[in-house]
Amino acid sequence: MVALARKTLVYEWRRFLPAILAVGFAGLLQLLQLALVLGIFGATSVYITRSSADVWVGFPGTQSVGSGRSIDPNVESRVLMDPAVTRVEPYEWIDGDWRGAGNTGGVSVFVSGIDPSAQGLMFSKVLPPALRARLAEPDAVIVDRADIDKLGVKLDQTATINGHRVRVVGVGSGLRGLGGINVIASLDTAHRLDADDADNGPTYFVAKLRDPAQAEAVATRLRGDAAFGPYTTWSAANFARISVTYWLFDTGAGAGVLFLAGIVFLVGAVITSQTLVGAVQGSVREYATLNALGVGVGALRKVVLEQAFWVGALGLIGATVLGVALLVLARSQDVPVVLGPVAAITCITLVMGQATVSGMAAMRSMRRIDPATLLR
Amino acid sequence: MPHTAATTPGTPILRAEGVCKAFESGRQHTQVLDHLSLAIDPGELTLISGPSGCGKSTLLAVLSGLQKVDSGRVYALGSELGQLDLRALENFRLQHTGFVFQGFNLFPALTALEQVELPLTHMGLSRQEARERARHSLEEVGLSHRVKLRPSELSGGEKQRVAIARALAKEPELLFADEPTSALDAANGQTIIDILHTIARTHGTTVLCVSHDPRLVAHADRVLAMEDGRILSDRRPGAGAPKESSP
Repeated sequence: MVALARKTLVYEWRRFLPAILAVGFAGLLQLLQLALVLGIFGATSVYITRSSADVWVGFPGTQSVGSGRSIDPNVESRVLMDPAVTRVEPYEWIDGDWRGAGNTGGVSVFVSGIDPSAQGLMFSKVLPPALRARLAEPDAVIVDRADIDKLGVKLDQTATINGHRVRVVGVGSGLRGLGGINVIASLDTAHRLDADDADNGPTYFVAKLRDPAQAEAVATRLRGDAAFGPYTTWSAANFARISVTYWLFDTGAGAGVLFLAGIVFLVGAVITSQTLVGAVQGSVREYATLNALGVGVGALRKVVLEQAFWVGALGLIGATVLGVALLVLARSQDVPVVLGPVAAITCITLVMGQATVSGMAAMRSMRRIDPATLLR
Repeated sequence: MPHTAATTPGTPILRAEGVCKAFESGRQHTQVLDHLSLAIDPGELTLISGPSGCGKSTLLAVLSGLQKVDSGRVYALGSELGQLDLRALENFRLQHTGFVFQGFNLFPALTALEQVELPLTHMGLSRQEARERARHSLEEVGLSHRVKLRPSELSGGEKQRVAIARALAKEPELLFADEPTSALDAANGQTIIDILHTIARTHGTTVLCVSHDPRLVAHADRVLAMEDGRILSDRRPGAGAPKESSP
């Protein structure tokens, strides 16, 4: 088979360039938008993703990490009884009102009470043992280096949370959250800061498994025991997803993203299809001649669809190269961007879907191909 | 195999019976073909000539199955074209017909060889077969040394020869040519005429050519003069003419 589609694309590349650019930039926009949104909203699950716990235990119906309620402390022994579990520790979440030394007014903070020991699971990926050991001091807290100005303090200065004095003993990175500033304290410190008398147990228990791959199965197994009061379990991955999804749609950002993605898709598709229509029109006499010679309209449509495919593929390559470069740049500048395999596949699907839609739209213009018009 | 004008129904390769075709343009009603009947014998070079607007191109479109008739019947190779649906017509054209148009209609991106190969691969020929046939056809039109060139590197006459090779490589029973020389200068026009003539002679292909080029008359086995949608005269200028291609 003579590769008409590809040869035309190469020979008349100037004609196809706008479509390739349109597809490429549309893909790049989708990719960056998705990476940014996932990056920003991924901050709502830093508690999970920056920790090494495999299973989370919390109040039933909890929609995001920040909206947990206290559970019965005896649940811990129930979880420990499971042979797959190697370690369980409590995790305390407290909403706080921060008053710093500077003129910052009140700042809404989320206090995370964690086990400061070297084997502690919470924030183990961002807090090195030496840093977390400092939390063992009474009233010691750690904050993210990017938040320290907002809190109006410096290292080793004091501030108050819910009226209790705390001292900043260290700064970390990778602790930034969304909707409030994360402050890390020991479990003991966190208890002292807790203004709510109704809290008589930790907000969560987090567990480490012998085999992290079993997280889903163990979470399912631990669920549904009513002997210790209401609680439920999630695998870490699942709970992180629930948290991010809740924030995406609770804030309306998800709808915004979808809306913008739709617009980008549409604009890209219009430009691409118009370019392809132009290419069809430019070769309409040649196509008509082939049809006169008996080459079916279906075969000619395939040529256009194949061109659309190549336009999509080339656009995708361009978008990938630029996208990776921009994501690396963003990372280096502390801009929260995250791109996982699911998001990447989503982008690829969107780009190729856009090319396909454009190709099909351009195919409609082939109805004008009538070999009889070649005879005047 | 020279035929006489007297043919019984069924013998002609191409036959039109009482064909009518009209075009409506607003309130304007133009009768392009007016109860036209015609029989074309196999292996002949038939020339249809006449003033512009006389309906000769429409006749070609109707006889080749590119356009439907309003009334009447067209039989080609025993099939009634009016009975075939779009797909069947496409397949009929694929298997049995070749076309040469006034414009050469070559894909700018393809080399001469690829232009000729393209329809062949759609006929179900293997890559190897298609390539061989394409080379052979290009050789036949005298372009064996230009097979790797794209249309932008070919002269007008060469482009038309590629277009003829493209039609010829299909080894069609019917070859339709619409004003094949009108876009060419005298020398190139003559070359095209010679090639068409040779095709009819050596391949036994029935060549139906629409043209007002008087040079073609001398090469035609039969000349049909058209006016106002009817055939005015039907003559055989070459009766007893030499078989050589030069006049």
